[in-house]
Amino acid sequence: MVLKEQEVVEVQEKVLPKPTKNKRSMKRHFLHLFLLPALIFYVGFQVYPILTAFVNSFYSFKGMVRQDFIGLENFIRLFTEEPYNTIFTNAFGHNVIYFIGTVVTKLVLAFALALLINSKIKGREFFKAIFFMPKLLSVIVVGFLFSLILNPTNGALNSFLKMVGLAEWAHPWLGDPKTALYTIILVNSWYGIGFAILIFLAGLQAIPEEIYEAAKIDGASGLKMLLQITIPMAMPSIMIMTILTFIGSFETFELVFAMQGSSGGPYYSTDVLALFFYRLAFGSVDGGDAIGLGSALAVVLFLIICTATAISLFFFKRKEIEQ
Amino acid sequence: MNEGTDVMKKKLMLLAAFLLTGIFLLAACSEKNNAETGTKTEGETPSGTEGKTEEKAEVKDPVELMMYSWRPEDREAYEKFIKEFEDQNPGITVTFKPYKSTEYGTILTNALTAGQGPDIIQLRPYDGATSIIDAEYVVPLDDIEGINDISDEYLTAARGSDGKVYGVPLSLNAGVIFYNKDVFEEHGFDLPTTWDELLKVGEEMKAKSIVPIAQAGKAAYLLSLTHSVIGATSYDQSYIDDLLSGKADLSDERFVESVKRMEQLEGLFPKDFIALDDKDTQALFYTNQAAMYINGSYRLETFENTNPDMNIGILPSFASEKGGETPLVTWVDGSYAVVKASKHQEEAKKFMEFMASKEFGQMFSDDLARISAIPGVEPKHELVKEMTELGEKNPTPYLMLVYLGGGSPTTKTTFENALQGLYIKELTVDGVIEESQKSMDKWFEPMN
Repeated sequence: MVLKEQEVVEVQEKVLPKPTKNKRSMKRHFLHLFLLPALIFYVGFQVYPILTAFVNSFYSFKGMVRQDFIGLENFIRLFTEEPYNTIFTNAFGHNVIYFIGTVVTKLVLAFALALLINSKIKGREFFKAIFFMPKLLSVIVVGFLFSLILNPTNGALNSFLKMVGLAEWAHPWLGDPKTALYTIILVNSWYGIGFAILIFLAGLQAIPEEIYEAAKIDGASGLKMLLQITIPMAMPSIMIMTILTFIGSFETFELVFAMQGSSGGPYYSTDVLALFFYRLAFGSVDGGDAIGLGSALAVVLFLIICTATAISLFFFKRKEIEQ
Repeated sequence: MNEGTDVMKKKLMLLAAFLLTGIFLLAACSEKNNAETGTKTEGETPSGTEGKTEEKAEVKDPVELMMYSWRPEDREAYEKFIKEFEDQNPGITVTFKPYKSTEYGTILTNALTAGQGPDIIQLRPYDGATSIIDAEYVVPLDDIEGINDISDEYLTAARGSDGKVYGVPLSLNAGVIFYNKDVFEEHGFDLPTTWDELLKVGEEMKAKSIVPIAQAGKAAYLLSLTHSVIGATSYDQSYIDDLLSGKADLSDERFVESVKRMEQLEGLFPKDFIALDDKDTQALFYTNQAAMYINGSYRLETFENTNPDMNIGILPSFASEKGGETPLVTWVDGSYAVVKASKHQEEAKKFMEFMASKEFGQMFSDDLARISAIPGVEPKHELVKEMTELGEKNPTPYLMLVYLGGGSPTTKTTFENALQGLYIKELTVDGVIEESQKSMDKWFEPMN
């Protein structure tokens, strides 16, 4: 007697021991245990500090010791009291400039370079590696190196300009408030361009070749293909990079700290919100008592980033659906 | 068959993962147990002979003290001092753990808030110490031997709001004008003693491509330090008294004059000095490209380590007129305190007593070329001796640090950042005064 396929399955189901529902769910729960260490670290080092900052923002402090619950007073002081409000507005403005500057210098250039690398040029892997290399360094190291390069008296950049006969271009790049912030933005763009290129390349490589071929048959020009095929179809990667750049720009700390110190000098011309937070919350050992204010600023910073990210995600998603 | 193997494989993997987790947990637990009974384990005899076990049991467990500081450059000297202490106090070991000065505050805040880490900490002077003392992170030291011999003026830097002393002040810093004798001799410059002479010789130096004063402006604190030295003769003790009693404020002509002097000095500083680090300007000074350099007396050790052949002299300040007074700006650099959360407070206090002894003060002065706060210490170094004498004869406080270190941000910080604003033409002299006064108004209460 020959059994049909269906019958074989039925026999197997009857004969072979079947894992009970309970066993299966136990196994699944057991596997969850493996997530526990990561979860503990995440809660301990991410969630707990955020919640603590949130709670601290409603309290007054004496030195480092939490005192009384004062409601929204820290927030009100931050936005209405001199010099906090002036420093906040100044630093916020710099964060916005930092974001726009990074989009213009890093993202636009990275997209152009990704297009070039995607056009099957020779040595594309080499260029990818070269552009990504700065990202392997620590931000603090990058900041320190560029402080040396940009040193007005013996820095490599001014020395080079003098050597090639462009002495009048030599400039105290980090000492002039007109150039200091833009110089840091350029250094940041140099540092992060490789990562942006990789993301854009991934987006570009996902666009099917046939679409371009069809467009070519229809007589579309290179520019038209770029504007109507490449950019719209690479929009998810552009969206990711824009949001990451926004978050990075509003969280920026290390590079400015390494290059200009905690006061964002000269005279607050490179001050950003994270530096202001650092001075408020951790400057207390040198005489301040502003951990509550610092926490309020951290909460504001958190809300700015969350809100802006949510809005841009919503905006980009809608655009995707429309397409 | 294949299904059976898969199930086996999965089971084996689960078992392996379970075992690994178990090993980690066991390791963590046993480490904890070791830590808890660590010294006991060390005391057990590896050979197992009874006699030796008893002998070791009699030896008291060694106490390890952890000491935090912001002076990595002094590590070698401190290790020498500590060895001396350990020889005198068997059973106590001290580990000197210095951090970069600019990071020290954050690290200390975190360690104190967490309630673990150091037994002994270095306290910033004046308001910097008060915030830690008032938060009850350190214990009073009024009862330790030797502390009452230290001048009250120095102890003020380590007092809490309750009037008790919480730190052993180590050294007295002086803000001075270092000058390179070789540069002066080689070019035939006259040593300036008055403000006008400084401006005159400064122009002569510039004509010979010598930087008159190697001043850095990237770190704003250097500007307020220079201001204290330059301003010491434009405002005198009577102004400080008026300021503290509320009879005068920062818009007083005597103080305004000191800021005007800072503005005038710009021409004598290196080009683009606002973008220069202190290390850059030190290099200008010890490579004979600059004639003078203004900073704390602690830089003497740096110069001697970097260029031992350098021929350095010091000036306390520039007199307002010929034959006028030239006070020396002084302040307590910092002090050492015992952390309340320390499990070895008695041993830490023993170390504090050692630090308050003349023996330590002498070693400190000799090895680090600094002015010791301990009375009776006789400095070997000629320049330190000179500074000590000048400080005893005609001292003046570092106004911004000693009296205007309050507020958040502090008035000192506001003032030095405003000076940066002055040099990048964002502020005028009046603007600097106004910004600093606004900061002071928020917290300063005149003394009776």
